[in-house]
Amino acid sequence: MNIFNILSDIEKIDGDATEKFNHSRRKMLKTTSVAAATSSLFFAGVLNKAYGQSNTITDVLNFALVLEYLEAEFYMKGMQSSLNFGPDRGLINEIAKHEAQHVAFLKSALGASAVAKPEFDFTAKGAFPNPYTNYPVFLTLAQAFEDTGVRAYKGQAPNLASNRDILEAALRIHSVEARHAGEIRIIRSMSAYASEMNTGGVPAAIYARENNTTHVAGVDIVALSQPKLLFQNSASQMRAMKFAQDSFDEPLTKEEVLAIAGPFIK
Amino acid sequence: MEKSTISETKAKGPTVPSIPSAERRLFLRHLGIFAASTTSFLMACSKSLDLTPTGGSVAHSGARINADGSIDLGAGDIGILNYAYALEQLETAFYTVAQEKTAGLTFNELQILQEIREHELVHREFFRAVLGANAIPDLDFDFSGVNFNDRNNVFQVANILESTGVGAYNGAARYIKNADIIGIAGKIVSVEARHASVTGHMYLPLPGSTYSFGFGTTDSNGLDIVYKPSEVLPVAQGFIKQKLSGANLPTTNA
Repeated sequence: MNIFNILSDIEKIDGDATEKFNHSRRKMLKTTSVAAATSSLFFAGVLNKAYGQSNTITDVLNFALVLEYLEAEFYMKGMQSSLNFGPDRGLINEIAKHEAQHVAFLKSALGASAVAKPEFDFTAKGAFPNPYTNYPVFLTLAQAFEDTGVRAYKGQAPNLASNRDILEAALRIHSVEARHAGEIRIIRSMSAYASEMNTGGVPAAIYARENNTTHVAGVDIVALSQPKLLFQNSASQMRAMKFAQDSFDEPLTKEEVLAIAGPFIK
Repeated sequence: MEKSTISETKAKGPTVPSIPSAERRLFLRHLGIFAASTTSFLMACSKSLDLTPTGGSVAHSGARINADGSIDLGAGDIGILNYAYALEQLETAFYTVAQEKTAGLTFNELQILQEIREHELVHREFFRAVLGANAIPDLDFDFSGVNFNDRNNVFQVANILESTGVGAYNGAARYIKNADIIGIAGKIVSVEARHASVTGHMYLPLPGSTYSFGFGTTDSNGLDIVYKPSEVLPVAQGFIKQKLSGANLPTTNA
């Protein structure tokens, strides 16, 4: 059944996932009726268009939903924890609200096809042992999830081209994730722009290929930009390379994203 | 009505508008470099991204100068690419002037403006190269409405430009036929969104906080702003000296 593709994909990457899968499947059967019952009229347009869509679109939206479930629960648990957010509390709360809205939106769009929320392990099997008692660890994970989310939506956008309303909605989520990523990075006193060079302690796979500068064969944006940089000096070539890398964000494939998300899914 | 194509116009040599001296120098510098350096790239890359005219009711798809002097962005994917190119020209020009003229910037603030300027420059050069002979000409800008003595005003305008850019890319996607171009738009729009975070952060700290996020850029579904070209062009036009026409841009889903 098509709607299980996401979880079976995770299973392929994460060998011992059968149990999780069955657990999620049971949960899904329990929750789909609820999801179907709460879809508001407001979403009816998207819902009707999504209903009967190709398997591809349903798969993409369910893939997105799993990531949004992860983000929404991550921030919700953060807000409920005793972490001291200091002046960042309002911002983190705003991001938490957006992620919950994304979950609700995607569930409504998918209706009865929506996958159930998996169980999450935000320590990633102990790799990040204390996200809810150590604020820097929480922020590291926030950056990891936001930048992964940006790249995940980006990778799937062309697959949504057959339904322009859904494509547009997905892009509108995508840019919100990018705003989040920018804000989290600013809080962390990092560059707002994704780079392979300075990953800020998140798994390197999240920034794989992020430094790509070829977007159309034969268009060398480094060479085109270099002579027009504000400062022309011996470092211009290096700077042109850095600006070219930072000025385009890169997509991740579904498989790459699932490999990143896998350790966080029980 | 006689229309001339962009390439014919350019063959006569670039025209230099009467704009203030500092900006004029910058534009002269750009024009000079441009004329000398890009032709070979344009030839090389126009084959690698399929910009075949998509048919429809108009006889052309690339940019044109109308008889009244206005610049027609063109039709189909080329029209949308020219639309993006015009916005990236605007952003690059704004930050070029802002980093030079804004009074009282800290070193860090200056670096932030300069870094964003270079990103927009890369976007601009990318679209220029991809469009090749279909590109609109170099535009001229008027930023006299911006108070460069007030850093808050500068960052506010920057933030508006960035968020408008986000909404413009989000809203343009439904009109793009070529899936590769949809993917490329996605690569750029998220950087514009990061710029929006950075610039918003500079001018509107929340009460009791140093962070600016959440000023009405998302709706109740958590979806970002989305604008049609017909909504963005009048805003952009306020900064652009030449008259732009989006009359042939697509208005139905690709």
